Amino acid sequence: MIRFKEAHLRFDTGISLRDLNFQVKKNEFVYLHGSSGCGKSSILKMIYMDLFPNEGEVTVFDYNSNHVKRRDIASVRQRIGMVFQDFKLLMDRDVYSNIALPLELLGLKSGEVRRKVAMTADELGLRSRLNHFPYELSGGEQQRVALARAMVNSPDLILADEPTANLDAKAATEALEWIWKVHNDGTCVIFATHKDQLLKQEPSRTLSLVSGEIIEDR
Amino acid sequence: MKFGYIIREGVIGIRRARMPFMISVFSITIALVLVGVGILAVDNGLQYIGDFQTEYDLEIFLENESSADQKRDIAVNISEYPGVFRMDYLSKEDAAALYNAEFGEDVLSLLDDNPLPSSFRVTFDEDHLSAVYIQSFIQSMELFEAVDEVIFRQDLFDRVQGIMQSIYIIASGGLFLIILSTVFLTANNLRLMILARYDFIEIVRLLGASDFMVKAPFFLEGGILGFLGGILSILVIAGFEWGLAYAHIIDLPVRIMNHPELILGMLIFGISLSSLGVLKAVRRMLRFVS
Repeated sequence: MIRFKEAHLRFDTGISLRDLNFQVKKNEFVYLHGSSGCGKSSILKMIYMDLFPNEGEVTVFDYNSNHVKRRDIASVRQRIGMVFQDFKLLMDRDVYSNIALPLELLGLKSGEVRRKVAMTADELGLRSRLNHFPYELSGGEQQRVALARAMVNSPDLILADEPTANLDAKAATEALEWIWKVHNDGTCVIFATHKDQLLKQEPSRTLSLVSGEIIEDR
Repeated sequence: MKFGYIIREGVIGIRRARMPFMISVFSITIALVLVGVGILAVDNGLQYIGDFQTEYDLEIFLENESSADQKRDIAVNISEYPGVFRMDYLSKEDAAALYNAEFGEDVLSLLDDNPLPSSFRVTFDEDHLSAVYIQSFIQSMELFEAVDEVIFRQDLFDRVQGIMQSIYIIASGGLFLIILSTVFLTANNLRLMILARYDFIEIVRLLGASDFMVKAPFFLEGGILGFLGGILSILVIAGFEWGLAYAHIIDLPVRIMNHPELILGMLIFGISLSSLGVLKAVRRMLRFVS
């Protein structure tokens, strides 16, 4: 599903990611673990093709970073659900509209959109919150809305970029459990975090990063 | 359904960003009012000068001995000459009556015989009011044996023509500057409006929206914005014209409501300016958004 082959990424600031070689298969749950600034988000950005390697290649769903066209990037992203540390919700839209957005972008009929949003909201315990605005919700609930939006169109892959960083311990555990639940339903997940305790809580394959290099894959 | 998304997002976008939208409509309205007033001012100015110019008839005086056949021949030639808007024949008697009306004296009582010649007065339509064209007409008239003299106030005509040309050049330059500055001002304002929607653009891009799906609702929003700006500017100008007439300041011969091409032009200009301005601003932003 995802393959990094001798990928190097250099920034003008001098920070770089070096010699990235790994593959992620369907149905895997992979932690990207490392301290702040080690390159976790950059790897995720290379997967959703916001950043491109200066050397080597990254292949995502058969789209190769060296040959991908701008319009293909939209196709790649339509197959990925993304969850961010800052949630990236539209604050001026209610929960329903936030969750429905990816489906509307795909051009689904309104009845289908309603059905899928209701189903996803039920799964994540958000049914009673559909008419609320994100600023009316707790951090944990906002992250659940972000997760609902990420999974509503049944993506092949979920990228979670420090989704628990802004949450208290209880909400963070809950968020991790929800993401694991999505994974257990058959979705591949790449979860970037700097928190060791999460890895112990729900162990899985972990790529450990230090200063832009993968030092361990276990 | 994607079409439905575009329309819905375009309308929702207006509702959600009411204030920046209203400010943009206001700026487009001002821009279009400036353009519309500029065009109308030029049109009215030229209309006044044109009216003044068409009052200058050309007079063809005939020989006293000219026969009825010769006069008919000349009349036919004049009326068939391209660009002749109006032709009046003044007989010797008409000339005497005119003299009497203008000077209060009967020319026949002063002299035994009527010395005033019969004549044709010719007026050209606007499209043929050029000194060169009228000169060629004069030359063709002078070929007739029965024509004694052709009087045409060329110096005055040339001066009026010169004024008209100057107005054209100055007004064109002025209008060009107005249009240029309105394009820049509006583009800048639209850029600010789009900048306020950075979050939306960033998020929909991350969710897999193609460039087209990002741009299309904004393009529609820009079109609505330009249309509203166009309608408002037309109403403002029409109200202003009505106010001038109501206060008896000036009754303009050319008004916006009698000028459908200008109304259409302003609407098209407004819609194009804002939708393309919005499109440019979004395209620019997409370069910075992932």
